[in-house]
Amino acid sequence: MRIPYWNISYGILIDAVALVAVIVFVIGLHGHWKRIRLGKVRIRSANGDHPGKIGPVFVYSLLKNGILGAKLYKKIFTGIAHGFLFWGMLVLALGTSLVVFNLLFGLPVFEGRFNRLFMSFFLDLAGLLVLFGLLFFLLRRWLPPERLITPKERTGFGVQIGLLATVIVTGFLVEAIRIASTGPDPYSFVGNFIAGWLPADALSAHRIFWWFHGLLCMVFIAYIPYSPMMHMVLVPTNIALANPRPGTKMGVLDFSSFDNDAEEGAEEEIPTLGCASLADFTRKRLLDFAACLWCGRCHEVCPAAITKKPLSPKGVMVTLAERLAAGEVEDATLIDDITEEAIFACTTCTACLEACPASINQPKTILKFRQNLVMEQSRVPELMAKAINSLEQRAHPFFGTGSGPKDWCKGLDVPLFAAGETEYLLWIGCSVTYEERAQKIARAMVRILESAGVSYGILEESRCTGDPAKQMGNEFMFTELAQTNIDEFNELGVEKIITLCPHCYNSFDRHYPPLGGNYEVIPHSVFINRLISNDKLALKNSLERICYHDPCYLGRRNLFFNEPREVIRKVGQLVEMPRSGAESFCCGGGGGNYWAEEVGDRINQVRSKEALDTGADRIATACPFCLLMLTDGAKKFTEEQKTFDIAELVAEQLT
Amino acid sequence: MKTLIVEVIDAKRIGELVTVGRIFGDTPDIVALGSGDIPGNYNKAYCSDAAVGSNLIDGLVELIKKEGYELVLLSATTVGAEIAGPLSVRLGAPVLTEIIGAKSDMTVTRPIYGGKAMTTFKINQTPAILTVRRKYFESAIAEGTTTPVPLAGAAGAIRLVSEEAVKTEGIPLDDAEVIVSGGRGVGSGDKFTILRDLAGILNAAVGASRGAVDEGWAEPTMQIGQTGNIVAPSVYFAVGISGASQHLAGIANAKCVVAINKDEDANIFKRARFGIVEDYAKVVPALIQALQEEQ
Amino acid sequence: MHIAILAKVVPDYEVPTADFELTDGRAHSRYTRMIGLYDENAIEIGVQLKEAYGATLTIISYGKTQDVTVLRKAIAMGGDALHLVLGDADDPFVIAANLKMAIEQLGNVDLVLAGQQSADMDRGVVHSILAGMLDYPFLPQISTIKSEDGRWMVAQAHENGVRRLEFSGKGVLSITSSPKNVPRIPAVRSILAAKKKPVEKIDGIPGTAMPVAELSVEIPKMESVCEFLPLDDMAQTCKILLSKLREERYL
Repeated sequence: MRIPYWNISYGILIDAVALVAVIVFVIGLHGHWKRIRLGKVRIRSANGDHPGKIGPVFVYSLLKNGILGAKLYKKIFTGIAHGFLFWGMLVLALGTSLVVFNLLFGLPVFEGRFNRLFMSFFLDLAGLLVLFGLLFFLLRRWLPPERLITPKERTGFGVQIGLLATVIVTGFLVEAIRIASTGPDPYSFVGNFIAGWLPADALSAHRIFWWFHGLLCMVFIAYIPYSPMMHMVLVPTNIALANPRPGTKMGVLDFSSFDNDAEEGAEEEIPTLGCASLADFTRKRLLDFAACLWCGRCHEVCPAAITKKPLSPKGVMVTLAERLAAGEVEDATLIDDITEEAIFACTTCTACLEACPASINQPKTILKFRQNLVMEQSRVPELMAKAINSLEQRAHPFFGTGSGPKDWCKGLDVPLFAAGETEYLLWIGCSVTYEERAQKIARAMVRILESAGVSYGILEESRCTGDPAKQMGNEFMFTELAQTNIDEFNELGVEKIITLCPHCYNSFDRHYPPLGGNYEVIPHSVFINRLISNDKLALKNSLERICYHDPCYLGRRNLFFNEPREVIRKVGQLVEMPRSGAESFCCGGGGGNYWAEEVGDRINQVRSKEALDTGADRIATACPFCLLMLTDGAKKFTEEQKTFDIAELVAEQLT
Repeated sequence: MKTLIVEVIDAKRIGELVTVGRIFGDTPDIVALGSGDIPGNYNKAYCSDAAVGSNLIDGLVELIKKEGYELVLLSATTVGAEIAGPLSVRLGAPVLTEIIGAKSDMTVTRPIYGGKAMTTFKINQTPAILTVRRKYFESAIAEGTTTPVPLAGAAGAIRLVSEEAVKTEGIPLDDAEVIVSGGRGVGSGDKFTILRDLAGILNAAVGASRGAVDEGWAEPTMQIGQTGNIVAPSVYFAVGISGASQHLAGIANAKCVVAINKDEDANIFKRARFGIVEDYAKVVPALIQALQEEQ
Repeated sequence: MHIAILAKVVPDYEVPTADFELTDGRAHSRYTRMIGLYDENAIEIGVQLKEAYGATLTIISYGKTQDVTVLRKAIAMGGDALHLVLGDADDPFVIAANLKMAIEQLGNVDLVLAGQQSADMDRGVVHSILAGMLDYPFLPQISTIKSEDGRWMVAQAHENGVRRLEFSGKGVLSITSSPKNVPRIPAVRSILAAKKKPVEKIDGIPGTAMPVAELSVEIPKMESVCEFLPLDDMAQTCKILLSKLREERYL
């Protein structure tokens, strides 16, 4: 039977050292907290309570991403190696704790089957797996993939990997020496194996190795907060506190509270709009920056980074993490370090957020910088400035449009929304109204709705939801536009809205409720699917091969993946693109980048090529911006008009 | 109708005003800004060395009242803008600017809303002042020259410190038969070079839309449009120009507009005779190539 | 230094030609209203002068009460006060007389700036008539302004180039657009602050209109059928274009 502290005198001292190690650990942890505490306290989220939330903790998310680390497995080898490391260490830690309990309370862990299975076999297996994991990560640091080193590589892993590896190896050695002296223990298969190779006088080294192993382990533990290994605490904490709803929440600011006509001095001070320095961010954001391991998965999927724009989501995190570590929280030159170009190159596709195993919210950070640039400093790229100006002047961003507000329905008899009578408001949205190519989406949808006999109507005046303003960082403009819409909707008693554009959907569904606008919103592709399911549409199948591009704001951000696909299957044969579903690659039009002159490779051309390479007869999408961007992108490769909206494809197949 | 022209010594500009003057009556008299003989044959001709229109007002008022002129014609240029308003106050005379049409019954037409609409006015009192938009009237051929008499009474409230004529490389816009013009779609100042190359082969002038000028890619003197140069070439190449009505106002009398723009919805295509919906960077080099092959 | 900037609120000047319609000879009331483009350039220069010399800026406009919300943008850009003369006349003499009244009420205006021409009537004459009425020197098409030893040093964008001019005392300048006076985007803070600034409303005077009669207002028909050339072979297309231009004797 194994005896704890076998051959060791004053073995209990190691526990005293452990205490010291833990104290150093706590001090280090506190250091992180001290820095994170410099952020603002987060205002209670206005977006309602999330089911499955206990206090501030999102339980399911914590279990799935924090404990199981589900996202890590997207890169299967890294996932498995990390799994080995994580679970292996967990088992080993449990094992060591059990030894302590045995010592303190006489817990009979060294007896019988438990001893054989767990204390002997599983612990050895765990140690071995940990070693494999460590080997993988050591090799990884030695021959790093691009994402780990671009734009910068995080240092400090080597030391801890080395320390831990040495701890494990010496642990096995100590076990082996014990086994060599006390007799073979086939369940401790690793120790057993090594024991066979030891020289006869190995026992004399036992004590040295035992203390060495123990002390090194304490050093490892104490050093954790001063190394990237702090992610053990920071990452699960971050995941637990991060709202798992995809996409950015971007809570609304109550500008009206700054507007009161009360006496001078009684007005509320307008806080800094957006963020310019670290201190402007909330503590949760600072936790994001501290938790980031610079793994680069976000960089790999970012459309801007892939097309060599100045933006790298990892780069942003790196800059912020370094500043935070240096304690430079008041410095507002932060934005210029990251550069205005980078901040505006983001298309808000949230692929980075999706890819991040630590639930870090890169898009929100970038958007916060944008808000500061736009609302506080009035720094905006020129074309975006014109779009914002147009929104301010005409309630739509499409400056220079050649279309009047009613051109899209010329020749069509489209009913107006009648309060109390019409069931669905068909919200046209600005892009469909003012962009000639996109107008056909509305025309097709009208045909579909008429064919299905749906009670629908449009508004007299066409307006924008304000989404482009929000995306470009102008929350103020968004709130103004949204309030106008909400006032009109509430006056008309609007309850259900069909949108033709996922950006409109996202605005209504996510950002309007805090402003007082609560409606049932349905994206048009989903509505069409409903009509099909209820046999309201007679369709023939063209049998054409149609590849589907998931719009970021419909798919990844709002989880509508299946409905558009079902619709496509009814009118053709669905072909998937290499990057689809939640991994869909952005068309490049989001984040206000529809109004931008791109430098370098164009995102829309990259995506168009991907679509054309599937060899499909048509390319389908469910968003007017995607339609416009991909139509333009395809021009580089083909003369044919291949890109269509789902509504257009369905309207074509109506019998 | 006793008419007086006030203009710089430029045969084309004077000629256009003479044509307008003849609509209302005989050949007008003239006050020329500058020195030297004035092209054309005039009953009375005066000159002034006033550097700025503002400095000329007193002298003009005296002359107009003394001689009883009923109509004063200016071109819708800087000179016209400087003189028309203050003169109208001093004379108590109605003033209508940017005239593009005139009839002897004292009705004139002028554009509003950036050229999207036209108003017709009847002038009910003389003296009256009109500023005439360039290139809308044929320039009367000048026969002979007239030596002017210096005009008295130029005040000096505003002093001209210096004048920099912007050197136009190549053909000046004013009389060019062919013009190659770039807008925002060109993308940068450097990229204007290719337009200059094209202009070189075509023996054309280079112009720009207000958008390109505001970006700093072209000199303001190259601006074509309602508030820039009004041009009337045979062929006008609109490269990367969207075709806002204010720009179209500058080329209303261009005979053939060739539009190159990658946006098929651009308004310019509603004015153009030939359209190429393509990135100009692909078209212009090919066009240069085709022209070189011709030679 | 007190600078008055004249701003006019006009119907959307970017309404596409195809969508443009008139009621009673004026742009349809459905078009959104905004500050004219050149007026914004003038406001921008005014704000630059405020930043350079500590000038006070008063925005003066002639129009309707509803236009106050639009004019607040001028305050947000940097204007200190807004004086609105209420009236709906279209005639340049009448408008100028009303603006003159507003300026004289202010009393100590050193310089009056205005946009080169309004984006609706495109006359570009009200400011120079105003100058005549005030008996101030007038210069159009100004792109930059500096003050040196009590003299105004200005640059004028002339047809042929740039003229640098100077004068002292008061004056009226009309402003043209240039890369140096691109209108700034007001910060949200300024927009919110502008909402609280008081607006001085002045009753307009009838004035005397010009003795001209507006006979008609029409929208000219744009008749042009564009021949779109093929895109697949650009070399061929260019040859086609050249031959057509020569055939029809344009080139």
